Amino acid sequence: MRARLLAALLVPLVCASCSQWDYPVNIPFVATWQGEPISCESPGAALSDLRFYVSNVQLLDNDGRSHDVRFATEMSWQNDAVAIIDLENGEGACLNGTAELSTYVLGVAKVKEYRGLRFTIGVPFRINHENPLTAEAPLDDPDMHWHWRSGYKFLRAGVSTQSDGFWIHVGSAGCEGTVGNITGCRFPNRIEVELPDFVVDEHVVTVDLSALVAGTNLDDGTPTDCSSGPAEAACTAPFAALGIAFETGEQTGTQRVFSVQ
Amino acid sequence: MKKVLILLAVLAAVALWWSTRTPDWNWELPPDIPPPQVPADNLMNAAKVELGRWLFYEKRLSRNQAMACASCHLQGLAFTDGASRSVGATGETHPRSSMSLVNVAYASRLTWANPLLDRLEDQALTPLLGDRPVEMGLRNGEQRFAELLRSEARYARLVARAFPSDKDPHSLLNGVRAIAAFVRTINSFDAPYDRYLAGEADAISASAERGMELFFSERLECFHCHGGFNFTDSTTHANTDVERVGYHNTGLYNLGNTGAYPSDNTGLFDMTGERRDMGRFKAPSLRNIAVTAPYMHDGSVATLADVIANYERGGRLIAEGPLAGDGRLSPFKSEFVTGFELTDEERADLLAFLDALTDKTVLSDPRFSDPFLN
Repeated sequence: MRARLLAALLVPLVCASCSQWDYPVNIPFVATWQGEPISCESPGAALSDLRFYVSNVQLLDNDGRSHDVRFATEMSWQNDAVAIIDLENGEGACLNGTAELSTYVLGVAKVKEYRGLRFTIGVPFRINHENPLTAEAPLDDPDMHWHWRSGYKFLRAGVSTQSDGFWIHVGSAGCEGTVGNITGCRFPNRIEVELPDFVVDEHVVTVDLSALVAGTNLDDGTPTDCSSGPAEAACTAPFAALGIAFETGEQTGTQRVFSVQ
Repeated sequence: MKKVLILLAVLAAVALWWSTRTPDWNWELPPDIPPPQVPADNLMNAAKVELGRWLFYEKRLSRNQAMACASCHLQGLAFTDGASRSVGATGETHPRSSMSLVNVAYASRLTWANPLLDRLEDQALTPLLGDRPVEMGLRNGEQRFAELLRSEARYARLVARAFPSDKDPHSLLNGVRAIAAFVRTINSFDAPYDRYLAGEADAISASAERGMELFFSERLECFHCHGGFNFTDSTTHANTDVERVGYHNTGLYNLGNTGAYPSDNTGLFDMTGERRDMGRFKAPSLRNIAVTAPYMHDGSVATLADVIANYERGGRLIAEGPLAGDGRLSPFKSEFVTGFELTDEERADLLAFLDALTDKTVLSDPRFSDPFLN
């Protein structure tokens, strides 16, 4: 009782100048191919998969400071740590997909004025290696879990043409320990995205599949794939497009797949 | 009156505890074989093992309703499938050959080269749900298990007894626990070699006896990787205090003279990204090895005689084609694969010894057979 009274007295003192979580932030995602929208049923190049986890969403103000965005948790595709963006509907080329879509991240921020957006494509290490069979949504999706590598596929994406295809699964690799007791991963493979000009309700974040697969042999008639393994030459170009040095799994460059439109 | 009620309540609590506690499982092992490790959250009980046996043979756990765990793990072939590479429910070919499940309860690590997997409960999720490649390709696994376990009287009855204190027992988690419990019971210690060790001097032939001497010799070095009661250095059991895990490059490939293995099958390297792990795979148990052809992680060696020939040579030579290379010269090869020379008689003796590791009991034991056929 006394502690509660004390807290009631202290909070206005400490927080007199802070703002509250008053400002809704809605971040829609759209898949594109050479500047045009792409879906599972697009003629020519079609989406064959596009699902990814978004975490650590922050707004950047004019002074370069970052402000957290807190996820709304009433939707099944978000919890307080991660949101799943699912832009495939299981139709057409999306053979391993699901009908459900989740196309935006919804949250709240304490700031109204900002100029940019920052987020991570990935699941934070502290929850990445917990048991997926007892995890809460959206970490309970078996399609997104990597049972043999441990942890989640942070991004699964694919493009299918009439005669060829390429797909990629990005997630932490080279993990150490044993399932249930993972102590670290040599290749974290988390994708850091910073978009300097983003205004809520004005912009969408585009995911450019043509940038992701540029440099892969999509036109040679033999479907190829990358599942983040160190021997997979097919990973090099898409990892570079995501800003990750394939040899280390660290973010060293600027990603070219996510942008603002 | 109050005292009587309290006494009754205490008695009821004790009775409940007594009825749900898990008694020690009887592994029915020879006296010198230690029991396997069992995870504390999945203790053995008879209903669980029976449930697991049905689920192991349950074809409705696959995308095409035509494939069960047992489709790639056939009892008569020591729970392998006889193919060089296994084919999944959607027709996709796995890069690896199906491994024997006999004595897998004693494996310190599971599959050919995954250092992260030490529990069958975790491993089972990959063949059930994995999509690179698609094996059983089960979709909506949680829901499918719940439907199956609830809707069929047989499963409902077994689940209630297998997981008596679980509030939500019809789960995928309990499904893989049951399958794991069943698979842990597939043990084999009744080969002629076991009977020979137990004192039956004529259980194995004189040739097999000579082969045994060769097998355990420093000249051939087989036992360094295939040692111990389960003939593999990746063995663990309930009384172990040191965990043993071994991965070895046997000089099977040497692409472009770089030591590289085919990119879809680099072994431990794919998991760790360490150059020195190129082509390192777990040494499989040699129990029942005579019935598990073709051999090696990719089924690329047809017969046991060919396997021995590769080790005699100190690595495999692939003279031409896209996989050409002399494995003997691989920079990543195990120090134990140095080559040796055998006479024709010695070769026959070694094969006779490997034959003596075939346990006909486990290959036909009705406890491990397909219950749907009965």
